[in-house]
Amino acid sequence: MSTASSPSIALHDLTKFYGKNRGIRSVSFEVYPNEVFGFLGPNGAGKTTTIRTLMGLIKATSGSAKILGINALNSHHQLRKEIGYLPGVFSTYSNYTASEFLHFVARMRKVNCTATINEYAERLNVDLTRHIHDLSKGNRQKVGVIYAFMHKPKVLFLDEPTSGLDPLVQREFEKILNEAQARGASIVLSSHVLSEVENLADRIAIINEGEIVVVERISVLKEKALRSIDLYFDSPMNATQFAGVSRLRDIFVDGELVRCTVTGSEYELLKRAVEHGVVTVHTHEPSLDEIFHEFVKVGKPQ
Amino acid sequence: MISLYIKMWRDHWKSLLSWTLVTITLVSIQMSVYPSIAKSGKDFETFLENYPDAIKKIFRMQDYTTGAGFLSTELYSMMIPLVLIAIGATWGASATAEEEDKGTADILFSFPLSRTRIVVTKILATISVITLVGIVAAINIIVLRNLVHLTIDTAHLFSATASCIAIGLFFTSVAFVCGSLTSHKGASLGIATGVSLILFLIYSLEALVDTFDSISPFNPFNWGLEGNALFEGLDLAGILKLSFSSLVLLIFSVVYFNRKDIRSQ
Repeated sequence: MSTASSPSIALHDLTKFYGKNRGIRSVSFEVYPNEVFGFLGPNGAGKTTTIRTLMGLIKATSGSAKILGINALNSHHQLRKEIGYLPGVFSTYSNYTASEFLHFVARMRKVNCTATINEYAERLNVDLTRHIHDLSKGNRQKVGVIYAFMHKPKVLFLDEPTSGLDPLVQREFEKILNEAQARGASIVLSSHVLSEVENLADRIAIINEGEIVVVERISVLKEKALRSIDLYFDSPMNATQFAGVSRLRDIFVDGELVRCTVTGSEYELLKRAVEHGVVTVHTHEPSLDEIFHEFVKVGKPQ
Repeated sequence: MISLYIKMWRDHWKSLLSWTLVTITLVSIQMSVYPSIAKSGKDFETFLENYPDAIKKIFRMQDYTTGAGFLSTELYSMMIPLVLIAIGATWGASATAEEEDKGTADILFSFPLSRTRIVVTKILATISVITLVGIVAAINIIVLRNLVHLTIDTAHLFSATASCIAIGLFFTSVAFVCGSLTSHKGASLGIATGVSLILFLIYSLEALVDTFDSISPFNPFNWGLEGNALFEGLDLAGILKLSFSSLVLLIFSVVYFNRKDIRSQ
């Protein structure tokens, strides 16, 4: 990902209200070429509303959104040639075989994707000759993945793309996604599987109750997040020995073990620990899951 | 665009085939009755003269024993318009509302085509299917008319067909509007067919109920059927009224659909 280049996707204060009901409010973020951007939030937080607004399926109340430099909110349907979209619920024409459906899609997009369709079908192990209504949820989702990637789009909106896929196929999906990223695509990946986002995304946005809580690199978030540290000493300790250490959130002392949580730099804590003769230090890196829950529960941490 | 047009035919081919066979069967059965009507000739005329005027008006029994009168009463005043309305309303209600109902709208409207183009393609497919079934009915009559010794002017027959197609188009347009407004196929189909049946009932009973006279000038069945195309030839004014009002409805449907949020599952 190169932030030096101009963003492929740029949202500014994108807002959508459903009557008086909340949709999304002032959503802003940018996604760059070669970037996988994780888009996280609890159910009903506004992820799907944001993506469907960018796809022109619902109309924004206010704000702006540009995709590949073109106003995406102004019914610029030609833009959709360059976009791959996998809806959160992939419902499609069940009376078609997978092959008929995908070739219909290719004709609608005026591209010839036969080779790509066959390649992805083989990699994802999906039988294209079967009717879509006969396919399992997982196999239907595989057809959805092919549908989104087959025309090698420059921008991809993937709403819960691995829903229903087994672990082996998920791995193949990740390879396909990495290939798209490598050829310069900008990918917005909305997922509940936080470990998957952690593996694939460079940056993430967390949305809660229709508003963006944070947009940041995962590494920076981890650095800023609460970390749990276990310090082992050669003699019993008490909490007062760590009084005044900045960035220290909680402390629990059990004989020679001091268990505490810190945010940001651990320097002061470790300095004090060394002064008291620390023997061993165990640091637990926060997972994206922990970071996510922290943001969704309490908003932006200090 | 052509792929979408073909898709619509493909999606409905079973229903289209059924309706076409139903139309052919209905027309053939009615035509098979004609020889006995014609044979009775004067007796039948006398018999009909004894019918109350109201009944004759309700069933449009004008010159019933003639080819034009028979076809008008048995097919072109009710049966064929209603079949075309049923087909048009079903296709019209399915066009966008069924896509929203089934959740396939997210796929369809994320193709690089404008919403206008997609909806207009579906409108054209629907118009062509009601035109086709209308023409099939007319050809069926032409094929059988010599066999049953029914005399009908071919130009008049196609004029009446055009009027029926225009009526079908009007209620197709109502279905498109309902589809845009409600996003539900069932509701759209129900409203479009319900409105057509109510208006048809008003048209049929206007001879008996004075209050309905005030509705007649605005009733699409009056526009399409009062010209008696089977007797008088092309009723251009009626067809233009139906076509223009259909066009207004279809434009409203497209404009509204362009502005709305597409429902998701």
